[in-house]
Amino acid sequence: MNKNYRILDLIRRNRSPHENHLIDGLVDGRVSRRDFIRHGSLLGVSLPLLGRITAVAGFGGLPSLARAQGTPGATIRVACIAPTATIDPVTTSDFTGFVLLQQAGEYLCVGGPDLVLQPVLAESWKSNDLGTVWTFKLRKGVKFHSGGEMKADDVAASIDRLADPASSSNALSVFKGILQKGATRKVDDYTVEFHLDTPNGNFPYMLSSDNYNAIILPASYKGDYEKSFDGTGPFKLEKYTPKVGASFVRNENYWGLMALPERTEFTFFNDEQSQILALQGGQVDMMNAVSPLAGIVLLNDPNFNIISAKTSAHNQFHMRCDSDAFKDPRVRRAIALCLDRDKLVAGLHKGRASLGNDSPFAPIYPSTDASVPQRKQDIAQAKQLMEAAGAGKGFKVTLTTERYIDIPEYAQLIQNWVKEIGIDLDLNLLDQGRYYGDAVFGKSNWLDSVMGITDYAHRGVPNVLLAAPLKSDGTWNAAHFKNRDYDALVSSYIAALDLEAQKASAGKIQNLLLEETPVIFGYFSDLLVPTAKGVTGVQPTAMGQLFLDKASKA
Amino acid sequence: MVFLGGQVLPGNVGRAILGPFADQRAVDTLNHTLGVDRPLLTQYATWVWNFVQGDMGTSYIFRSPVAPFVIDALGNSIKLAAVAFVLVVPIGILSGVVAALNLNRPLDRIISLGGLSVAVLPEFVTGIILVLIFGVWLRWLPISAAWPRDSGFFTQLYYLILPSLPLFLVLFGYIARMARSGMIEALDSDYTRTAVLKGLPWRTVIWRHVLRNALLPTITVIATQTGYLIGGLVVIETLFRYQGIGSLIVTAARGKDFPMLESGTLTIGIVYAVATLSVDFLYSVLNPRIRLGSDQ
Repeated sequence: MNKNYRILDLIRRNRSPHENHLIDGLVDGRVSRRDFIRHGSLLGVSLPLLGRITAVAGFGGLPSLARAQGTPGATIRVACIAPTATIDPVTTSDFTGFVLLQQAGEYLCVGGPDLVLQPVLAESWKSNDLGTVWTFKLRKGVKFHSGGEMKADDVAASIDRLADPASSSNALSVFKGILQKGATRKVDDYTVEFHLDTPNGNFPYMLSSDNYNAIILPASYKGDYEKSFDGTGPFKLEKYTPKVGASFVRNENYWGLMALPERTEFTFFNDEQSQILALQGGQVDMMNAVSPLAGIVLLNDPNFNIISAKTSAHNQFHMRCDSDAFKDPRVRRAIALCLDRDKLVAGLHKGRASLGNDSPFAPIYPSTDASVPQRKQDIAQAKQLMEAAGAGKGFKVTLTTERYIDIPEYAQLIQNWVKEIGIDLDLNLLDQGRYYGDAVFGKSNWLDSVMGITDYAHRGVPNVLLAAPLKSDGTWNAAHFKNRDYDALVSSYIAALDLEAQKASAGKIQNLLLEETPVIFGYFSDLLVPTAKGVTGVQPTAMGQLFLDKASKA
Repeated sequence: MVFLGGQVLPGNVGRAILGPFADQRAVDTLNHTLGVDRPLLTQYATWVWNFVQGDMGTSYIFRSPVAPFVIDALGNSIKLAAVAFVLVVPIGILSGVVAALNLNRPLDRIISLGGLSVAVLPEFVTGIILVLIFGVWLRWLPISAAWPRDSGFFTQLYYLILPSLPLFLVLFGYIARMARSGMIEALDSDYTRTAVLKGLPWRTVIWRHVLRNALLPTITVIATQTGYLIGGLVVIETLFRYQGIGSLIVTAARGKDFPMLESGTLTIGIVYAVATLSVDFLYSVLNPRIRLGSDQ
């Protein structure tokens, strides 16, 4: 398709240097259309404008978002695991908790399919040239369920609350070193500025559904969220009963398109198997998520649909770099070379996963450098590395991990594979409470074990995954990996606003981690959402949120 | 014991609520807000002092009073136990009596062997099989015991049938065998022989003389199962998503929710004590020989 340079020039006139650099990348072919849209959304360029730019640059516009509308008035019944604690936007940390939060509450923006950020309560955003100040323009005329209009005071109070160390905020680890309490400032009723501690090119993700605690509440919020579920969303709370379930009804005063379902019902179960039985028995219409191993019965049943989304969720297999067994990186690389990753994806995940390449850079991230070679199983090379490291006769070591979803099976596969290079793995499977312990060094099997496997949820950007588990001062650094070059590369990656600069740092980080291999990333799991046949319009995010406003039943 | 046991478990309440990846400052703040950073003895003494005054405390994980949770869960457990009782007691006793009256005949063997066979299967095995048959394949019964909001008596009963069936299977063999052996002993006794020899009709012999004596040990067994049926159904409650006191205690233990755990455990203890005491009273009513002040 032809490029229309005249219109492109007109568009460029009002864009920032970073936005223009991104447009250059698209026009020159250095940035793919998909990466252009994802990164453009991050920089705050509206989706219609992004579509116009791709069209005039000769790559075609965005596909129309219009879709066939389902039948209104349904009651959508969802099975989910019972929340582990009270539902509170400040403290909630479990999957069901944030699915419920997001039924009545809304974010400034949402990480949509392919990680494209879509505006919700914010209409637009942009940063200064350094990426230290981000300005968000708010949507006008949005009402809370309790009646007041959502304004900058509410946004500032909501985000300030999460950044406050005195508030028990679960999002404190997201904002640590990035956004302090008091650094969220109202400019006018519909404009908010975020003054960051350091430059951050991915900051909008931290205010999006990716930071699931960041729903916008009235400034006057004092707790007791379960009584009201006050928010601005398309559904209002009908009833919440701890340990039993929750139901929501359509918000007739919603600022956007009215939700199709009349009601939604969330029923709590204690385990995945009971949810599957309820779905099969017709007592619910869908589950909020299922693992491939437990859900295999649904994957192969024509009575059910599986909505699938690529994510960056994974299990980190760490080896302590300060232990006798693993201080030599050649031993760590040898173990990584034993894994048959294709079989992991095909067998353990029934094809519903992506290959991992021993770094947090999942294939879904636009900044991932795809030119870095994929590590594959190579037992001969692994044996050579063991010999070279003086460990040719092998050794015995304990792999400590948690009983959670597919981790026990993953550990058993690893146990079998490393036998080939003489390593005798003793599996120590613990329940999650014992594995994580107090989650601080010295009081946690997770952080103190010589070797372990830990589950990590999806993140829309790899920043947290690059820092906390791998930087020298990382609070989740179970591998006890300390490398100054790595720390510097991560800092430059996080500060970069420009996609190509991010990609350049990413490539260096990926190669460094392949060389050092403190942590093995075998695969990145897909999110699987099973629905009964006839249920349509369900929109999950890679994070696991469930948007039901366009859902219907045949 | 429960309190101390709870302290031995790794982790802390704030960490259990906020998750392993939360910032330590947030965890410390939450622990302070909940009061779980106070000395153990202070926490325990405070809870006991409040409990003896009728205050079960506030749940750490649900951050609301414990009493409504415990009362609701106990009520649910009693409902499920009642349905299981109503099913298993008459059928179990009747089967035992029929087996004894048909001693060593095929009917006796079917009841004895069948009852024993199903009794040795754990509830989660029979539960899953029943769910698959009646809930998934035939779709006759709901697989969850949680009835819809504002359901009436019969709807609740309908939802409780499937979860009560595994309990029926566990207890049926036990009760039927106790009734059978009691009947055999009573049928073989001197007073039965006397009643028959003095010309009483067979039906009268059974009703007036045999059954009353034969069922005393069975009633004791049934009553001692009350505690199990109300407080020990964690597996069934989990499988059928039922909010009974067993699942309440498991949730509390997982979350290190001490006020909920301690209150739930004490409630179950009280249920066991009341059930045992009731058995003693019932036994004295049915058996004049052990009444206080009796001659014998």
